[in-house]
Amino acid sequence: MKERIGVYICHCGGNISDYVDVEKVRLAVENDEGVALARTTVFACSDSNQNDMVDDIKKYNLDGVIVASCSPKLHLVTFRNVTERGDLNKYTYVHTNIREQASWAHSDDKTGATEKAIRLVKAAIAKSRYAEPLYPNQFEAEKTIAVIGAGISGMKAAASLSDKNTNVILIEKENKVGGHVATWDSLIMSDEKGSELTNRIYTDLQKRKNVTILTNSEVISSKGSIGDFTLKIRKKAQQIGDPIETAEFKVGSVVVATGFDSYTPKEGEFGFSSYQNVITLPDFKHLIDSSSGKQLEYQGKKINNIAYIYCVGSRQSDGENTYCSRYCCTAVIHAANQAKKKFKNIYNFHFNRGIRTYGKQELLYAESLQQGDIYLQSFEDAPPQVYAENGKTKVKIKDILTKDKELEVEADLIVLVTGMVPRSDSSIGTILKLPKGRDKFFNEIHMKLRPVETVIDGITIAGTCQGPKNIMESVNSALSAAAKSYSYISKGILETEPIVANVDTDLCTWCEKCVEACPFDAIIQKEINGKLIAEINNSVCKGCGMCTPVCPPDAINLINYSSEEIMSMIDALA
Amino acid sequence: MASKINPKFSEELKKYGSVNFNACYNCGTCTAVCSLSTTDNSFPREMVRLSALGLESEIKKSLKPWECYYCGECTSNCPQTANPGELMMSLRRWLTAQYDWTGLSGLLYKSLIATILALSIVAVGVWYFAHSVGYETKTMLHTGHLFEMIAIGTVFLLIFVPNLLRMWYFTVVKNNAKAPIKHYFTALADLFVHMFTQKRSKDCDEKDNFRWMEHFVLVIAYLSLLFTTVFLNWFATESIFIILLGYVESFLVFLITVHFVSGRIQKSKSLNKFSQPSDWLFVIWLLLMGLTAFLVRLFIDLDILETNKWIYIIHLTVLAQWALIIVPFGKWSHFLYRSFAMYFAKINKSL
Repeated sequence: MKERIGVYICHCGGNISDYVDVEKVRLAVENDEGVALARTTVFACSDSNQNDMVDDIKKYNLDGVIVASCSPKLHLVTFRNVTERGDLNKYTYVHTNIREQASWAHSDDKTGATEKAIRLVKAAIAKSRYAEPLYPNQFEAEKTIAVIGAGISGMKAAASLSDKNTNVILIEKENKVGGHVATWDSLIMSDEKGSELTNRIYTDLQKRKNVTILTNSEVISSKGSIGDFTLKIRKKAQQIGDPIETAEFKVGSVVVATGFDSYTPKEGEFGFSSYQNVITLPDFKHLIDSSSGKQLEYQGKKINNIAYIYCVGSRQSDGENTYCSRYCCTAVIHAANQAKKKFKNIYNFHFNRGIRTYGKQELLYAESLQQGDIYLQSFEDAPPQVYAENGKTKVKIKDILTKDKELEVEADLIVLVTGMVPRSDSSIGTILKLPKGRDKFFNEIHMKLRPVETVIDGITIAGTCQGPKNIMESVNSALSAAAKSYSYISKGILETEPIVANVDTDLCTWCEKCVEACPFDAIIQKEINGKLIAEINNSVCKGCGMCTPVCPPDAINLINYSSEEIMSMIDALA
Repeated sequence: MASKINPKFSEELKKYGSVNFNACYNCGTCTAVCSLSTTDNSFPREMVRLSALGLESEIKKSLKPWECYYCGECTSNCPQTANPGELMMSLRRWLTAQYDWTGLSGLLYKSLIATILALSIVAVGVWYFAHSVGYETKTMLHTGHLFEMIAIGTVFLLIFVPNLLRMWYFTVVKNNAKAPIKHYFTALADLFVHMFTQKRSKDCDEKDNFRWMEHFVLVIAYLSLLFTTVFLNWFATESIFIILLGYVESFLVFLITVHFVSGRIQKSKSLNKFSQPSDWLFVIWLLLMGLTAFLVRLFIDLDILETNKWIYIIHLTVLAQWALIIVPFGKWSHFLYRSFAMYFAKINKSL
């Protein structure tokens, strides 16, 4: 029971004091039981007031602190820190919101607003009397990190983690590493071979003692939580008849780098699968990479005029993929430039919806223009049309750069510039419970400020499994995800918020109602002296409180929000 | 009917002197900065676009290349250094070749060797003629004068009349079937104003009226020198007034063309950075015409022509090359096509 509580009532400039009579609030609570001190302040969050609070705590020997001000979303942490600076446990601090809940909500009724503010502060005092010092939960973190997917992102993440003296398990579903990049011959700007790039990293990884590379392997289940995941991995049979091996690995964090699939056009989409000479961007890339000689040929036919139709499977305002795949403009212009350099009499026609060769990649676009490639543009509502006439495939467009004039090209080859789509096999997302965005790629917490973290603590995302990226961007995000994953386990010990659910082992009857209510799978079954009860996994529990009201015998309490505290608050409010 | 794109056209246009116009990414800065382009009649981006696409028939029926007077603002402001000004220039050369029914314009524009060959043949012809009349001054002067008159008439009738009719057919008839006859008369004023004043060029470069003034003086001096030599028979006249008039005219032609040539050598403006052989030929021969005519008359007045016949033979050579090659098939024709373009544009507009 707190006996020396300090109460601070904030004017918030005039945001509160214009409607709530803060002095009246102060007078109403200053003599309440346990209140040692009640002050008003113009800005509670100001540096000077924070320092005054620290002095007050020491001078008046306070054992609890309450600030009645704005939303706890804004300043709960601020005042917890002030309390800590005054050498009190920060969880003894109680926040109450009289701005959003009293002054702003009742600006038409000053008396009522003041009355409500008084009651809110009284309720806070009631809660404060019971507030106990709390300490973060600590547990040991596994110093191994799993990287799922050994494409360019996964391999770079693995190398980066290995540098930090962490054990790395690199898991690849295919029988070889390198992903998409390994299949591309020349890459943009540097004109390096994709396979050279991936082999270089792979050779380096193989030399590292703390990296285990598992190919032909798939994660089939995951248990546990940050610092302590158990991944079950199945190794595909190499030969028919071989036994299917499974193994379990304990890891502290997981980097997911499972990459993308290329969009496959629908039957008939821009003549796809209707005409033999309509192919996709990856097909074209492989054709250019693998062809030799002076004359480009496809299926035995000479290719001179090539039409490229952009944004196929991307930027569909009415379709599934509303996003821009961001790599395709650059990739196709690069491939078209390669074609022009490698073979004679190549004429390129780009049917686009605006070229997005951002940054340095603009140089490729400039090069393409210089060598005489022709760019034709239309909006989404008037896409180019592919049709056949007298045995020739043609593409026509109403070109907005030529006063909507209808223009046509007789194309020997039509390349559909297909973008990136999420992996069709999204089982890893299901296993790890990763949320997906509207684009069906894995979703980060905050696209700008927390771009590689997921809402599942301990799991980060890297590369194109998060959304379309080029190689540079994929590697950037991979290094970032590796650093983030490492930071979770770097201390060897993990700390989590102490405000979690708590089960009364005597009252619990293991009815499983709480298990259904928990959104985080934090409740596990446990046997004590032959009795089945629920146990809370403190490292997973977020303290959301979903389990407490559904418990029939009222066996679960949320620390800091016990039934006792809540009831005393309700009494004070009533 | 969809128009067919022809990327090979840009290779053809390069032979007419186009520079880097493929680099265009259609931002339209050129059109925005052009002081002659209007909302209803906008260029040069449109012409750059049609050229990149190789829509020859569209270009052939357009008068826009003639409506540009090459101030060079588009080229200086182009973010892609695609040289729209030079593209318009090369389109004028290409159009000149299209209008010419003989096909010789195109040949001479594209082939320097053919040009040199043609000039040489004419030179040999003149020297052969001089030789065949035994370098007799009187006969040479008389025949030279006669040649001038015949050449003007022939070139005009056999080359320019059909070529202008072709231009009319491409740009007026093909564009708008039938223009009322009345408009051909009402628009005539425009034809003559533009022919003799290059009024539009004055609006082209707002900062620099000197360029227009210089060109204007050159045109007037050249035309009156032509009149003075052909119709007033400058080399044979006794009239002091006519003699002095000829001196002034030929001196002005010489003076201004010297300035033009030095501009092309120094590449002082974007309009003279990319001189083609046809451009050099035009200014240098005009310069030589002014210079040799001046000297011939001077030699007559000093009474030393008889002992220096070579000067007249040179003058006659320059004159013949000018009249038989540069005027009908070279850059001289822009004098007619520019003014007729304004005339035809006016007829089209009045519809």
